[in-house]
Amino acid sequence: MTQQPAPKITLAHVRKEFGGTPAAVVAVDSLSLDIQPGEFLAIVGPSGCGKTTVLNMLAGLEPVTSGTMTMDGKAISGPGAERGVMFQDYALFPWKTVVGNIGFGLDHGPAGHGLSRAEREARVTRAIDLVGLKGSETKYPHQLSGGMRQRVALARLVANEPKILLMDEPLAALDAQTRIILQDELLRIWGQDKPTSERRTVVYITHSIDEAIFLADRVVVLSSHPGRLKRIVDVDLARPRNDETRKSRSFAELSQTIWELIREEAYRATMR
Amino acid sequence: MVQRIAGMMASFSGVLMGNSTAPRHWPAWTIYLRTMGLFCLLWYAMSWLTPNKILLPSPLDVASALRDRIDDGELVANATVSLTRLLVSVSIASLIAIPLGLAMGTSRLLEDLLEWPVELLRPIAGIAWIPLALFMFGIGNGLPIFIMIYTAFFPLLLGTAAGVRNVDRRLISAARTMGIPKGTLMRHVIFPAALPSIMTSARLAVAASWTAVVAAELVGAPSGLGYAIEYYRSMLDTPSVMAFIIVIGTLGFLCDAALRSLSAALMPWANAEEKR
Ligand SMILES: Nc1ncnc2c1ncn2[C@@H]1O[C@H](COP(=O)(O)OP(=O)(O)O)[C@@H](O)[C@H]1O
Ligand SMILES: [Mg+2]
Repeated sequence: MTQQPAPKITLAHVRKEFGGTPAAVVAVDSLSLDIQPGEFLAIVGPSGCGKTTVLNMLAGLEPVTSGTMTMDGKAISGPGAERGVMFQDYALFPWKTVVGNIGFGLDHGPAGHGLSRAEREARVTRAIDLVGLKGSETKYPHQLSGGMRQRVALARLVANEPKILLMDEPLAALDAQTRIILQDELLRIWGQDKPTSERRTVVYITHSIDEAIFLADRVVVLSSHPGRLKRIVDVDLARPRNDETRKSRSFAELSQTIWELIREEAYRATMR
Repeated sequence: MVQRIAGMMASFSGVLMGNSTAPRHWPAWTIYLRTMGLFCLLWYAMSWLTPNKILLPSPLDVASALRDRIDDGELVANATVSLTRLLVSVSIASLIAIPLGLAMGTSRLLEDLLEWPVELLRPIAGIAWIPLALFMFGIGNGLPIFIMIYTAFFPLLLGTAAGVRNVDRRLISAARTMGIPKGTLMRHVIFPAALPSIMTSARLAVAASWTAVVAAELVGAPSGLGYAIEYYRSMLDTPSVMAFIIVIGTLGFLCDAALRSLSAALMPWANAEEKR
């Protein structure tokens, strides 16, 4: 018998089409995948291969066309506060300040239930410190740079403390140094130092192979048009991971492996 | 020199367009004064060329009539009446049209239900109802207020509904993934997201209502700016008629300016959104 617990999320033969027949676009096809509780799963693939679509289906914002998608054995039929989402285009509320955006879920949603006002404010402050937005608390999204907006979106997700984090290229707009700092912070928030049973579950979309390897337990490589599972690569690098990890031989080898897998797809996608 | 003229022209067009991004060498009001001065000069010349002063009184006659109407209290009294009617009717129209528009923008069923009645009534100008309203309300406050509510109602209803329908879907998605309940979603996401559109339609509603008040008061009320115009016309006092026309224009402009500052105060986040 294996020690493997029941998967947190299961995708079985998931297919997603957009638009009416016969002009339908097949965004995702025959995708089967188990996501374990406490797992950090990264998804990589050329742009347009259906990564965002998979995330939207996991979030419950898009129904699957066929196949099944279950969480704890029950079909995912809509969004829920236990699955926090960070959107690729941030989806910040233009009428809310940085503080208002980050605290939105705490102020109006179940994430804030049972918390006092002071506790909610403390969480917002911590999230602001985490992403380095101190001093911009009262600014509106239109007053922020792209990178700052992305950090607000990240802080909003973190402040809600969801059990499952669905993140769509969350660090793509940041400069290299900030990105590395926040990668470390993400691993801490996920629960890198805790036993697996206490970790959150993360589905993390990125176009950076190195980022995927540094963060994830497994990297899902998707092929494009339609988005299909090409390979799942196990990342058996020791935790906690740090700068040494990035310089290690096995890191470079994994990077090479995934790059080989993705290369022909990337060419195929750009040449189309 | 050429640059300076170009700059002045740019800032002048800036004033006309109501934006302030153009570099400005002169304050806006000096340019406004200059334009008005030119206009008055033309007007003066034309009235001088017109043999019958009753047909086109000169700006000086109008100015002195304006002072007389201020002195005898007619101007303030009638302007207060008309502005009160405007405030009352736009408030009532908002209280009905905005909630209905919010519901219409979110519910397919309600939209289908209301589409035909609205589309049939909307092209009928408010003033077309004046003769009928005269039977229903007689002469008094009822008629102008009815006409003005009618006039303000459709821009508010359709502007609100369109604003709700055009709310960025991603914002609703974001709120739903945070588990925001339905009622909260309306109050804290859909309404603020639609607010710019609602405020724009409020400006349209006030402008249309202000036009209608004058028409309604011309026939259907014993007071107000429209009534004053009709009264002084019957006295053949055209300078006073012109004076009231100028007051109507000025007050309409000021109402819009007030609404614009209200928008800016309500939505400090929206200014830059528009400019982008
Ligand atoms: N709402 C939609 N309607 C129609 N086609 C869509 C829609 N969303 C995504 N697609 C299509 O599905 C494919 C996958 O898109 P997406 O999931 O955004 O890719 P990725 O996130 O990997 O870049 C693309 O071909 C895209 O054009
Ligand atoms: Mg994407």
